Amino acid sequence: MTALAEEALIARGLARKAARRRRANFIIFLGPAIVLMVIFFIVPVLIDIAVSFTDLGRALRITEVSTANYERIFAGDTRLTQVVALTAIYVFGTLALFNVGFGLLLALVTAPLNPVSSGFFRGVWLLPRMSPSVLYILLWLWVVDPSPTGLLNQILLTVGVVDAPLDLKTSAPVMLIIISNGFIGASLGMIIFTSAIKGIPVHLFHAARVDGAGSLSIARHITLPALRWPISFITIYQALSLLVSFEYILLLTEGGPFYDTTVYALYIYRRAFEGGQYGYGAALALFLIVIGIVLALLGWRFFDMKKLLQSPRIEVH
Amino acid sequence: MTARISAALAAMTVLAGPALAQETITYELWSRQDTSGPLRPGNVVKAADRLNAELEAEGSDLRVAVEIKETPAPGFDEDALQLARVYGIGEGPDMFIQAHEWICTFQQDGFLLQLDDYIAQYPEHFGTIFPSLWDSTRCQGGIYAIPQDAEARMFFYNKQLLRQAGYDEEFIQSMPERTMAGELTMDDVIDIAKTVIDNTDAQYGVLHRPSIGPDYLMVFQTYGNDFVDPESGDLLLDQAALEAAFGWFERAVQAGVIPANNTSMEWDAIRAEFYANNNAAFWMYGIWDLGSRAFPTYGLPEDEEAFFADWGWIAAPAAEQGGKPSTLTHPVVYAISADVEHPDLAVRLLGHASAADLNTDHAVTTTHIGIRQEQLDDPRYQEAWPLARATELLEIAKYLPNNPQFGDLNRIIYTGIQGVESGRLSAVEAAEFVIDEATGTLENVIVR
Repeated sequence: MTALAEEALIARGLARKAARRRRANFIIFLGPAIVLMVIFFIVPVLIDIAVSFTDLGRALRITEVSTANYERIFAGDTRLTQVVALTAIYVFGTLALFNVGFGLLLALVTAPLNPVSSGFFRGVWLLPRMSPSVLYILLWLWVVDPSPTGLLNQILLTVGVVDAPLDLKTSAPVMLIIISNGFIGASLGMIIFTSAIKGIPVHLFHAARVDGAGSLSIARHITLPALRWPISFITIYQALSLLVSFEYILLLTEGGPFYDTTVYALYIYRRAFEGGQYGYGAALALFLIVIGIVLALLGWRFFDMKKLLQSPRIEVH
Repeated sequence: MTARISAALAAMTVLAGPALAQETITYELWSRQDTSGPLRPGNVVKAADRLNAELEAEGSDLRVAVEIKETPAPGFDEDALQLARVYGIGEGPDMFIQAHEWICTFQQDGFLLQLDDYIAQYPEHFGTIFPSLWDSTRCQGGIYAIPQDAEARMFFYNKQLLRQAGYDEEFIQSMPERTMAGELTMDDVIDIAKTVIDNTDAQYGVLHRPSIGPDYLMVFQTYGNDFVDPESGDLLLDQAALEAAFGWFERAVQAGVIPANNTSMEWDAIRAEFYANNNAAFWMYGIWDLGSRAFPTYGLPEDEEAFFADWGWIAAPAAEQGGKPSTLTHPVVYAISADVEHPDLAVRLLGHASAADLNTDHAVTTTHIGIRQEQLDDPRYQEAWPLARATELLEIAKYLPNNPQFGDLNRIIYTGIQGVESGRLSAVEAAEFVIDEATGTLENVIVR
């Protein structure tokens, strides 16, 4: 055997080994993620699709396979328009006012403070996120209790702002779910935005000061442009999370009074688990998956996330 | 769904030889945790001892044991949904305790044991149960459950507040009789409650339960809603009658008599407002609330005379003068699974649990009405005056329909009430909402 042939053999062996290692690495590193994704995302979606074509009801029996659930969504369900409109108001309202708006405000206001005070304020705003949801909502229930002994009513009645106790759960339920969810959602934006602000090279601020810029114009011309990527990320991420989460609303208002705070995800829950119409709930849930994917793709396109992901926006030397 | 053989007993059998062979059948009893009836499952446990003694006397080598599975559902409706899911995956219990109107839901899916032959076979257990109570356990002509208790529902009222509001004693004391005679109307209740709110410090006129249940259905009944077509047995919705019933809630809320947030109030807060704080004129609920909450928790006088000096109750008044008042009785029942092991023993077990003395224990401790004639002669029963007085209402009492879908319809009706009270729906819209939801989600709904 010639040396050349030997070399070729060794090279082939090495190539095979490398290929094997690549396969092994693939299984070791990506395998668990793929398995989890298949079990917890793909399989449930497939089951959901299958169930949505059945009349699976309270006793978990299927007697008919049809498109009746979809016909009901498009033609028969009179509550759906209101539920979709409320969901849009809830997601957009919470996102704009709190998750992005208030989060940004907190970041802008606390970032320039000294580390101790800014840490304290951010810590306070993180508390709602750290508390268990049941405890957090229990506090809210005590705050907005409609009797004169409710915390908010005690304060308002003592100060003299109102004459009779308020019942926000009945009179302003949508505002209540936006605020209670927003107080939690604001903290994530706050943390991401703060770290982004801290990542801006300090010399830019110094240079701006030297040029005579005030705090507002520094925020507008230096800080905000650097926050484009985090703002885009928080908007898409939180929009999707608001769309599918309903536990705080369920605990606080149970979707009521009437259907006033029944957002789409809670509507699915009420139909499927309170009414025992699992087939119809599955069909409704399928649309939530579709809406989520469409929203994510639109956000991707609208914020040009692909470009943003390619290179760092801020050069740090 | 298995009656299990105790491993220890099996081992004993092997050791002791066939002469002592004894088999214990353990029945799993599904029961909602319910402070208003702890003896419903408790009596079945006691019954096991009686049945075992009987089996021993008969020379049988079978013994029974009861394993209670308590569930935390806040009401029978939530519990029924949970139970249906458990049956759906084949993990149903051997027997369960439920509100009668849910029975046919389980019967429809073939989960229940038909009891007609057993009832006839054991007259010593079932012979003296009030015949009318069996009507609440029938589905498609067959008997599928055993009545456990009955009760009456009413509007309790606070006589002190009515006095403060300026009503004279004669008027206050004659309200129950005038209600039964059809002289007092539903709108009179609103007027009285309104007068109380206007002339006293009380804040509420009428309070009702803040969850799905039967009491508010009395109002619907009074306004002519029977919910079932007597010929076909299908659900029946009468738009005009629904509008009339929702109209009462609408007028009551507009008059400030029922609070707009009644359905989001807490149970204990409602009871405290009525029993403890002198803050509500009427409380629409049921007789057992006296024994389970009013006496022990809120200290209302347990003496009959002292009680009726300041408190009282009326049936749901007639819709119009000269009309019929109404009340609901809502039996709780025992049911047995179709695939239970030794069904005869399961039936005998529940027969012993329904014994007059055990049932009277339940009746007098929780002010529920008994199920058999001989209980009425029991001195303990006679001493429990709320029972005798509530029994007076039974002559006008009706049951909720035993239709498998009635529980679903009730959920829709409750949502409609919530819509009306919170100002989201008018009475007409609420009737349309109920018809719309019922025809969209339930089957075979007749709309008139």
